Amino acid sequence: MTAPRAPRIRSVLWFLAPFAALLAVWAAVVAATGVPMRIFPQVTDVARALVGMTVSGELTAHLAASLRRVLIGSVLAVVTALPFGIALGASPRLSAFFAPLLRFSVALAGIAWIPIATLWLGYGDGAVIFIVWNAMFFALAYNTMLGVRRIPLPLLRAARSMGTGRLRMFWEVLLPGALPSVVTGLRVGLGYGWRGLVAAEIIATGAGLGYALFLAQKTFSTDVIIASMVIIGALWLIMDRLLLAPLERRTVQRWGMTVAVS
Amino acid sequence: MTTGGTAVWRQLARRPAVRTLGPFVPVVALWWALAALEVFPPAFFVGPDVVLAELAGLLERGILPGYLSDSLTRLWYGVLFGLLIGLPLGFLIGMSPLARRLTWPLLLFFQAVADIAWLPIVIVWFGFSLTAVTFVIVYTIVFPLVLSIVAGIEQVPQELVRAARSLGASRLRIFVEVILPGALPSVASGVRTGLGYGWRALVAAEIIVGTSGIGFMMFDARRVGDVAEVFLGMIVLGILWYALDALFLAPFERATVERWGLVRQEAAR
Repeated sequence: MTAPRAPRIRSVLWFLAPFAALLAVWAAVVAATGVPMRIFPQVTDVARALVGMTVSGELTAHLAASLRRVLIGSVLAVVTALPFGIALGASPRLSAFFAPLLRFSVALAGIAWIPIATLWLGYGDGAVIFIVWNAMFFALAYNTMLGVRRIPLPLLRAARSMGTGRLRMFWEVLLPGALPSVVTGLRVGLGYGWRGLVAAEIIATGAGLGYALFLAQKTFSTDVIIASMVIIGALWLIMDRLLLAPLERRTVQRWGMTVAVS
Repeated sequence: MTTGGTAVWRQLARRPAVRTLGPFVPVVALWWALAALEVFPPAFFVGPDVVLAELAGLLERGILPGYLSDSLTRLWYGVLFGLLIGLPLGFLIGMSPLARRLTWPLLLFFQAVADIAWLPIVIVWFGFSLTAVTFVIVYTIVFPLVLSIVAGIEQVPQELVRAARSLGASRLRIFVEVILPGALPSVASGVRTGLGYGWRALVAAEIIVGTSGIGFMMFDARRVGDVAEVFLGMIVLGILWYALDALFLAPFERATVERWGLVRQEAAR
């Protein structure tokens, strides 16, 4: 597993170099054209805003609020969508019934629920968590269903003919078989959930990264806006590349084999 | 039920229209029952009858058609410019290994800065205008599209390219006859994902920028507590996207995968 150090450092450099170039171009263009900060901030302004937000503790508060909501929302989504998706995948009748409904709901999921969520749950944490859950639920359920359907029939029959009980069937055949697809669903769903979170925070709360953006827009503080955007982007990149992508790769390596056997 | 009855049911169940719309019947019935029994307070939850009445009212006053065409116009412009920018950009970047290596991290990052996070700065630049909404939709469509085109080109088996080259195909012919068809399934799914994100961005932008459109209608209704109009907006959005996806995007994707995806499967064997 331990890759030689030099190539790894080189690949990190290759990853960072384009950002350095972008920053240089940004700094040069702003300096050359003299755009007022009200329209577009200089790199140093954004850096100062970042430091200011960190020192004042604002950043930690917003980060904590946003991450807590994503965590609660996604745990709820996994707990509810997994059993539902597996049930759908295991029963052709259920899936025939729910497939059009799911497709309709996927189209709606997330942001379109913001007005009704704020009406039902009020402006606050409840509504935002609901949006994250909602945005993830359908993608996750749908992909889980696909995953179960892709389990080779001989495997299911073999397990059944050896007298596997329902519970063991779930834990030892259906869940591991569907896992690669589940992780894909998780990744797609979190993508929707993250967007839903930002939108819901802009509209519905008094804390979180989306709210920081909204507040800065009201006062035309472009430095804080760009700083918040950078944080939102960096955070998602970290979550997706360092957490979800390796998870996806590992599950496909570990469990994807069962599917490839057929 | 008699056996004759079940046979009729089976016949019915085989029709695609019934298979698609059938499941909605019990759901609407349940919705109606919940509303009629007032399980939830009527201020938060209204039945389909009330929503229908709302629909009739909004149609009569011409509000819904107006908002609907506003939303669709924005989506259309966003998609048009998104495709015009995303398609060439994707192929340009995908064709050159150096460009791919240099832009890939930036593409990932800009894809990660969720489209909606662009709204505040876009409002600062363009004000509460059509340009602001269109910008966000274009942005949302371009990045998933470029990413999946680049990934698609990368997945074209090198043997095929080498084979074509050793048979003396020119660069242009290799592009048109090997790389383009090979990447097409990824392009199709990129278009579909991009549009899905674009659609959500449109709704969010209309809620936040708020001048007209279905998203605005829903949020405005929420502000005055008109549940029926919020429900109606959600149903209209759902039907619209379902129709768009089922009638255009899914067949397009299926057709390209069926037609061109085979190339890759054959090659992978």
